[in-house]
Amino acid sequence: MKLLTRRALAILVLALAVICGILFFTVRYLGEASKWVQHAANQHLYKNGKLKASGTIYDRNGEILMETVDGIVRYHENPAVRAALMHAVGDADGHVVTGARVAWGKRLAGWNLLQGAYRFNRGLSHPGSDIKMTLDAELCAIAYNSLQGRKGAVGVYNYKTGEILCMVSTPTFDPQYPPDIDKDPERYEGVYINRFLSAAYTPGSVFKLVTAAAAIDNLENIDSTVFQCNSKTVIDGEYVTCPTAHGRVDFKEALAKSCNVAFAQIALAVGADTLQAYADKAGFNSSLEVNGIKTKAGQVNLKNAQRPDLAWAGIGQYTNTANPLNLMVFMGTIANDGVRVEPKLIKDSWLLRLLQTVVPRERVLSPETAIRLGSMMRNNVLSSYGEGNYRGLELCAKSGTAEVGGDRMPHAWFAGYMQREDCPLAFVVVVENGGGGSKVAGPIARKVLQAAVSRYAGE
Amino acid sequence: MNELLSNLKQLLEMTAAWWSNLSLLFNSPSTIGFDDIYTLLVRWVFPLLAVGILVRCIPPLLRNRGCERIWGYLEVPGSIKIPIRHWEVSLGRSKLSDIVINLPFISRNHAVLAYSRDSWTITDLGSKGGVSINGQNIEGKGEVHAGDTISLGGAEFRLLAVEEGNDDLDATRRRTWLSEWGEGIAPGKTFLLLLLFQVLGAFQLYFTMPEETKRTILLTVAVFIAAECFYYVIAFLCSRKHLELELLAFFLCGLNLFVVAADVPNQLLKQLIAIIIGMVVFCILQFILRDMERARKLKYILAAGALVLLAANLVFGEVRFGGRNWINLGFITFQPMEFVKVAFVLAGTATLDRMLTTRNITAFIAFAGTCIGALIIMRDLGTAVVFFGAFLVIAFMRSGDLRTIAYALAAAVLGALAAITFMPYVASRFEAWGNVWQYANTIGYQQTRTMIAAASGGLLGVGGGNGFLVNVPAADTDLVFGLLCEEWGLIVALTAVLTVVFMSLFAVFLVRGCNSAFYAIAASGTATIYLIQTALNVFGSVDLLPLTGITLPFVSNGGSSMIASWALLAFIKAADSRSRPDVNESGRLF
Ligand SMILES: [Zn+2]
Repeated sequence: MKLLTRRALAILVLALAVICGILFFTVRYLGEASKWVQHAANQHLYKNGKLKASGTIYDRNGEILMETVDGIVRYHENPAVRAALMHAVGDADGHVVTGARVAWGKRLAGWNLLQGAYRFNRGLSHPGSDIKMTLDAELCAIAYNSLQGRKGAVGVYNYKTGEILCMVSTPTFDPQYPPDIDKDPERYEGVYINRFLSAAYTPGSVFKLVTAAAAIDNLENIDSTVFQCNSKTVIDGEYVTCPTAHGRVDFKEALAKSCNVAFAQIALAVGADTLQAYADKAGFNSSLEVNGIKTKAGQVNLKNAQRPDLAWAGIGQYTNTANPLNLMVFMGTIANDGVRVEPKLIKDSWLLRLLQTVVPRERVLSPETAIRLGSMMRNNVLSSYGEGNYRGLELCAKSGTAEVGGDRMPHAWFAGYMQREDCPLAFVVVVENGGGGSKVAGPIARKVLQAAVSRYAGE
Repeated sequence: MNELLSNLKQLLEMTAAWWSNLSLLFNSPSTIGFDDIYTLLVRWVFPLLAVGILVRCIPPLLRNRGCERIWGYLEVPGSIKIPIRHWEVSLGRSKLSDIVINLPFISRNHAVLAYSRDSWTITDLGSKGGVSINGQNIEGKGEVHAGDTISLGGAEFRLLAVEEGNDDLDATRRRTWLSEWGEGIAPGKTFLLLLLFQVLGAFQLYFTMPEETKRTILLTVAVFIAAECFYYVIAFLCSRKHLELELLAFFLCGLNLFVVAADVPNQLLKQLIAIIIGMVVFCILQFILRDMERARKLKYILAAGALVLLAANLVFGEVRFGGRNWINLGFITFQPMEFVKVAFVLAGTATLDRMLTTRNITAFIAFAGTCIGALIIMRDLGTAVVFFGAFLVIAFMRSGDLRTIAYALAAAVLGALAAITFMPYVASRFEAWGNVWQYANTIGYQQTRTMIAAASGGLLGVGGGNGFLVNVPAADTDLVFGLLCEEWGLIVALTAVLTVVFMSLFAVFLVRGCNSAFYAIAASGTATIYLIQTALNVFGSVDLLPLTGITLPFVSNGGSSMIASWALLAFIKAADSRSRPDVNESGRLF
């Protein structure tokens, strides 16, 4: 039988192929089952194309943001909270793809890999499908009200734990009573986009922090350099201008006064390659993942940049764009002595928190650089934005007024963090075509942060 | 590190979900029925039992390679005695001869010595040196008796009979860790686990299915369990062989009944009868195959019968589900091609002497061509692929000729391409393949529903009778893998598929210890058919292959398919010539 034993190996090959196929299917199943299960034809979860039941979404303090009672979806009782959290929770038709109802749909629907779509007692909801978010409903409502109908985004997160407390994007609407979007296309422009996660704007002067970080690490004599600002400078025949002549400024003053002339020169001194590397480190050109939701990546591309382009890029213009969340995380990185903490929207269980204490975190900036940047940002508030406006916040910040071309108003940015051990929050505010950064976006940040301090300081 | 974290996270979420299920149990004030609690608990038990049954069956089956008996000796005068461990042994200089005689005047394949019905024959394989018995040259075949001297091209051997009382177990058998482990696993306990699985499963369906079918389900499973017990006790007392192979088949048949109960409860009785007929056919075939002469006669009878069935199918065939592969006799409908499969495997077999003398396999090729041609006319392409695969493997086992196989394969690929190009109904199958989500409600309907259902089941399943895939056509046959995933969970479904794959691997494992090439080829043909059917059925339903409408052996609903699966299993069983370790000892039942 030796001969046949040898020839029977052909079947072994066939069997191996079948086993490989089974393995392939299993791997695919583990990866994609959560997608398959959400097809509207799934009679375990859907009836007539609508989800039969769903878990409850809570905010960090246990306020019910969304619940399904007898197949009917109910939101928070406060209309401002409902509108403020429309993007976080999601609308009825699933247009907001980054909303909880879509992004964590399988969990809300009550599916997990082990249990499948099994429901004990054919119950409509089981607690395993509930979600507790890190958001604070009241804080979000304050941010929403402060925006006063302007388009933009507000975000606040704890740079020690990564928990996002506030995430508001406007325009928005009350999901309990959805308006006719098509009737007012101007007002509801891009209403289904969560601008905080999925938009990217020209950053303007807030980008100077990235240029400054590159300068601190790479220009040895940056501290002794003095820049002369006559409100404009010529680089290869192109003008870079300041609103006023800032005169003789050193590095610190250049940032505080947001002197374009000075930073154009710094960008040129740093060079395209280094600036590109620091932009990449700061999180540009890559998207973050927040509990499985991918953010839009901001762009900084200096590959073919000429010298004037590089100068403009160094002050946050050129083709640069920034995603609000990403910028906020960069602020948190500076605040946290250069170590980036991944942002999150879902509250972790105590065991996970314990686990995370042993997980190494990514260092983005050296501690010296981060502390140096922080002190310059603190100086910005003290010498330019006015400590009186932000009393008690120990604010470190940078404003941005991003020119968008044409006769449109510039985007107003205000980003930074609070240097308070008992309230370690970083924030970003952007108002589309809002005007001057600190003037327009600053007060919004003040209201939200003061509310945050009064709610959480000392906790 | 991040990956580890997210895995741990998922695990935690699972545990949390489970605990919250339990907490619901105690907090929920009203309307928790016993049936709900039953499902909640037993769905954890099924995967454990299923995996346990398969794992417990493997080591005993693989514990030794066979060749336990010695049928005679070939003595080199004045020197050593070479034991003859098969009914057919090849003699020659080739390394692949069973008895290698490394002398220059011996041909590579010189002769085959065969034992049948207490007599020996030697067949000259066209050697240069020739074969003589007691000094007389033979042409082709010659009978040899114990004590005779055989001369192969001048090299002399004496054939010796086995002394009484010393013919049984080979004392020099090597023990491996697998045999140690295998001996410790009692088949009786495995059988009890199997019965537990089936009883628990039957009650699960009893609780979830509508009132009018409840009794039928319990009754059917009860009769099935009785049949299993009857078989097990009789086989344990009468057979010397390992019984784990049947236990695995019982496991699959049990799943088959669960599937039928959930989908078409009114076919339960038919399916039960099919299983019992299958078991009877399995026993009868085993009895016939025990004797080579009877087996050879059976081969020709079945081949003739198969041709009749084929002709009948072509003339009287009925179209069902797109293929004209059904025959209606008024009181019963069946798929003749399932039975032709059995004849087909048998038609490909040959004893070692015939295999090595007549390398010509024209008759088998003609038979295979007829079957495959008929299948194409019947528009049953899936079955045609099964037959073609079995043909390739059997032809290779017979001839060892890779080049011919390659030509056949190339021709088939060209034929398939032509079929895709010119036959619209084939093309539409291929159009859906790989893109079923785009055609989720048209030509990808069945595959997408299978995947949705399989995903809904998770690892543990939603519980027998709770699925929705039963509403989709062919859920109990072509999509049976999805139905198993949904109702009994991915673990049980994968275990079922791996069981079929293991049966095939077991057949390959047995080849070395087969007494005759006849059994080795039959077992290999069966293994191929099981494997191809499994691949086409499982992968077809989840869009890794085009959906072809092939049954999963033992598991899919269908009487003809069930009986044919059992009949084919007889070929694997017949290839196993070993005896259980307990047979010579106490003979304990459990
Ligand atoms: Zn200036």
